Amino acid sequence: MEYSGLKNFSSLFKDEVFRTSVKNSLIWTVGSLALQLIIPLGLALLLNKEFKGGALIKTVILIPWITPVVGVSMMTRWILEPQLGLANKILLTSGFVQQPINFLGSLSRALPTLLVISSWQFIPFGTLLLLAALQTIPVHVYDAIKVDGANSWQTFRYLILPMIGSMLGFVFFLAFVWNFNTFSLIWITTKGGPVNSTMTLPVLIYRRAFKAFNMGEAAAIATMIGLFLVIVGFVFFKYLWRRADY
Amino acid sequence: MKMIRESFGIKMGSLILCLAVSVLLFVNLFPFYWVFISSLQPNLEILTGRTRLIPSNITLTNYANLLFETAGVTAFRHYILNSLKVSIAVALLSTLIASVGAYGLSRYQFYGKEFIGRMLLFVYVFPTILIIMPAYDLMAKLRLVDTHLALILIHTTLAAPFCTWLLRSFFDSIPGELEEAAAIDGCSKWKSFLHILVPLAAPGMLTAGIYAMVTSWGEYIFVLVMINSGTKKTVPLALAAYMSHVDIQWGRLLAGSALNVIPILVIFLPLAKIFLKGFLEGALK
Repeated sequence: MEYSGLKNFSSLFKDEVFRTSVKNSLIWTVGSLALQLIIPLGLALLLNKEFKGGALIKTVILIPWITPVVGVSMMTRWILEPQLGLANKILLTSGFVQQPINFLGSLSRALPTLLVISSWQFIPFGTLLLLAALQTIPVHVYDAIKVDGANSWQTFRYLILPMIGSMLGFVFFLAFVWNFNTFSLIWITTKGGPVNSTMTLPVLIYRRAFKAFNMGEAAAIATMIGLFLVIVGFVFFKYLWRRADY
Repeated sequence: MKMIRESFGIKMGSLILCLAVSVLLFVNLFPFYWVFISSLQPNLEILTGRTRLIPSNITLTNYANLLFETAGVTAFRHYILNSLKVSIAVALLSTLIASVGAYGLSRYQFYGKEFIGRMLLFVYVFPTILIIMPAYDLMAKLRLVDTHLALILIHTTLAAPFCTWLLRSFFDSIPGELEEAAAIDGCSKWKSFLHILVPLAAPGMLTAGIYAMVTSWGEYIFVLVMINSGTKKTVPLALAAYMSHVDIQWGRLLAGSALNVIPILVIFLPLAKIFLKGFLEGALK
């Protein structure tokens, strides 16, 4: 093996595809984090009641999360298929669109579509985790804060948020890792295309290493991502993770 | 007046709850129903866009074709056997490693214990894509590329840390007095681990094993990188390969997806509660 100094790194910054992937990865991570924290939080607050069949529902909504990624990709392709897919059939017959939409084959739609699919898989799991944290708050505390005259927002801000804070941090962390690392879903459905519009960093690494056989560049990207994630992980475990406090 | 308003509020509340639950269930489950019900319809109807929500005639031809007709190198049933072989080995190996590791973390005090405990979760920060290159290198040096043993080793590496984390909380919840009493009666550490801790933590160990199995059954990236021979593919790789054919045989593909997903649901769902409990204990403690 030849020592090439920082050549692999310096060539990366001039690389158009690399910049596109950084941008896509950012959009992907931030967008999915927003969806995957806000929706589960709302759902958990809504479901935090005793009701018939609650236990069953909690089991059933885990299904998307445990479904193997190839199964999810296949369902995505089948439902969104431009000619045969159910989504387009519904859109066409109800008259929302005149032409079938090619969800995964369009430059502007592919990334958001996959983002929704990936969130579809994570949201139920996040909801369950937050719900479990909500259920650790005893009922009489709610009564106490109500007697003190707190409105719903104040209850949320000063009681619920502090009590579920560490779980929210944990869900954030899980979602961050889950999204930043998404490879299989993108690879099986679009392979990073059309025209790099769904090319995120993990997909780029795979392409460079095993399709272009440019191990040096792939390793350079991998090193940068690795460093970045170590920093994120360190911050999380240092400041947000509070296992020892309990 | 106030009472009427309050009861109206409660009714509105439960209506919204009911609506939310229905939407949630529909969004979660309908795609599965659609894929499954499509896979039971004749391939010709699927390919001509006449797939129905409630089919008039149900057929298992897609499954029969998939399982028994050779496509490419071998028939699909072969891939199912491959997947079973790998995932069961991974489940056993991970449970073994995790229970010993979790025992150490739970019962002994040593320097850096909390650090190691945190590391078990921290390792999941690293994208699997970052380790494919070194892992491939390592397997090439061990001459294990294109073998199932490589997959077993790698999948165990992926699953075992989380299994350890899961099991540790189970061990922590079993009081140490039981083992102390056994020790006074002259029971060795090893024996008290086998005869006291293991039976008491059996639900946890089962959960860890199932988690490992599910991980291995659905894992795609490493199989993609490690396996070259057509006969050694596991289910996910075989399905992805079918999908990249120019003329997609949707009938077979849908049947294959159902076969990829259904076993997981059947073995995982009865244990979902224990899994969630173990997960939460680890996360919240």
